[in-house]
Amino acid sequence: MDISKAGAPAPFVDEVEPETQSAGKRAWRRFLRNGGAVIGTAILLFWFIVALISPWIVPYDPTDTLGLARQPPSAEFWFGTDTLGRDVFSRVLVGSQISLQLGLISIALGLVPGVALGLIAGYIGGITDAVLSRLVDAMLAFPSILLALVIIAALGPNLRNVMIAVGIGTVPLYARLVRGSVLSIKQLPYVEAARVLGNPPLRIMLRHVLANAYAPIVVLSTLQVGHAILIGSGLSFLGLGAQPPTPEWGLMSAEGRDVLRRAWWISTFPGIAILSVVVACNLVGDGLRSALDPRMRIDR
Amino acid sequence: MGRYITNRIVQLIPVLFLISVIVFGVLHALPGDPAELILQGAEGGAPPERLQELRQAMGLNDPLLVQYFRFLGGALLGDLGESVRFRTPVSGLILDRLGFTIELAVSGLLMALLIGVPLGMIAAVRQNSWIDTAAMGLAYIGASMPIFWFGLVLILLFSFTYPWLPPAGAEGLQSLVLPAFTLGFVSAGPISRLVRSSMIEVLGEDYIRTSRAKGLTERLVLWRHGFRNALIPVVTMVGLIFGGMLAGAVVTETVFSRPGLGRLVVSAILSKDYPLVQGCVLFLAVLYLTVNLLVDILYAWLDPRIRYGN
Repeated sequence: MDISKAGAPAPFVDEVEPETQSAGKRAWRRFLRNGGAVIGTAILLFWFIVALISPWIVPYDPTDTLGLARQPPSAEFWFGTDTLGRDVFSRVLVGSQISLQLGLISIALGLVPGVALGLIAGYIGGITDAVLSRLVDAMLAFPSILLALVIIAALGPNLRNVMIAVGIGTVPLYARLVRGSVLSIKQLPYVEAARVLGNPPLRIMLRHVLANAYAPIVVLSTLQVGHAILIGSGLSFLGLGAQPPTPEWGLMSAEGRDVLRRAWWISTFPGIAILSVVVACNLVGDGLRSALDPRMRIDR
Repeated sequence: MGRYITNRIVQLIPVLFLISVIVFGVLHALPGDPAELILQGAEGGAPPERLQELRQAMGLNDPLLVQYFRFLGGALLGDLGESVRFRTPVSGLILDRLGFTIELAVSGLLMALLIGVPLGMIAAVRQNSWIDTAAMGLAYIGASMPIFWFGLVLILLFSFTYPWLPPAGAEGLQSLVLPAFTLGFVSAGPISRLVRSSMIEVLGEDYIRTSRAKGLTERLVLWRHGFRNALIPVVTMVGLIFGGMLAGAVVTETVFSRPGLGRLVVSAILSKDYPLVQGCVLFLAVLYLTVNLLVDILYAWLDPRIRYGN
């Protein structure tokens, strides 16, 4: 935000002088006025910072067995220790790296091909569109967890393959979303003008069509990061994702399952961490949705 | 109505075909040799002649297209091949566990409706009050909840701290309460949001004003005229939620050590039992599509505009 605005009376500024503010700034103001979105942003920032600095701030090595198994939470071990005597607090902090990576990488893996397919289907149309759309419909016609299970079965259970499986599951979501945006944007006069000026199709697709379809993509991505973390940690809980001794939150919950009665803390704290990240992603996603376009709707 | 149903069934055929291609394609075309993976688990390095033998036995030496049509032809006749681990037909293994999963999914769905519908109703009637905020906040948390963790917390509370309900197993109605509540709470969020917005819309309709004007009690207005009309859109959602139940069952069955299709497919993946994975996923997909078809038909029956619409 620029300095001249900072001293202005806060409420209704954008309604009073709309032409002095860009669309981006107005969206930003709407976002900041949404309490939930601000809280979500704060939680996400917190976890991002933790993920970045956790190697230096954790009290213990997250994979070090300290010889004190199943210690309840105390001043020494804030979240207790697990069945192998590892510090749960350190593991939860370091685990943020894995969960955030899982969310971001798997979404990137879905976003790039999904957006490309949507652009191609929407812009080229015709038989290409018909074939791609049928394929997307078929992928959307059954729960994405089934597709993820098949992919993990084929590639083997580990964290990398979970990212691939979750990523592929989101491809049709992006493809459908972008196709819809492209179909409406390509009718607009400025796209027509770009074509008449002799721009090559690829340039038109990227510079003129995609650049104006970014808002729903950003919203979908934010919501999907939370969803990916939820599915990914669930798969790890089942033993289909991260493998020991990785401090992955879902896997940590699974490791505490058999001793739940005697050592509740092993499963409980990683779960709270997952819940907080996913709630934060959803709050930010919903906040972005209403800030970028109050009428915009995305099916999940 | 008959024509609508026929249309919907005909539309399903290409989808089913594509799903079978995707499931088969992913399991067979991706790098990784099932025969090698199976033997790898048994003993460190597999001798090449045993690999070759197993490939021959599994039909992996035939061209992919031949393998696919053999799989599809079998599947159409209810033959999903034989499990590598159990050495019995996949279809039998599925049918043995189907009842448990249906039981869980249906009770989870009921629970989701029992939680979600009243939550949405209260939120709508008390729109913009703290009750509305609290109800929607609860729905939000439910939708963001890792299902396995919620199940563990419930076990901790209601099986260990207060020993009211069994933490595991599938004997009797009692053992169903916690898994069904786990599934229901997690899926109640979207239902309550939909009920809320639908109810708010209905409450603004003329016929609600009319029934108030003719002096009906508020209870009658809300229940007879509001509630019943607000529920119609929820019907369309039931199919989608059922999909969520199947996905949730994969995790819930493991958390509560319940037998079922979800646990079967997870153990099949972990033991690299490809025919079983393939059969389970295909079966679950068909089950999901069938439920959605039935829901669509129900919806068309409830709301004639759909039938004639397109």
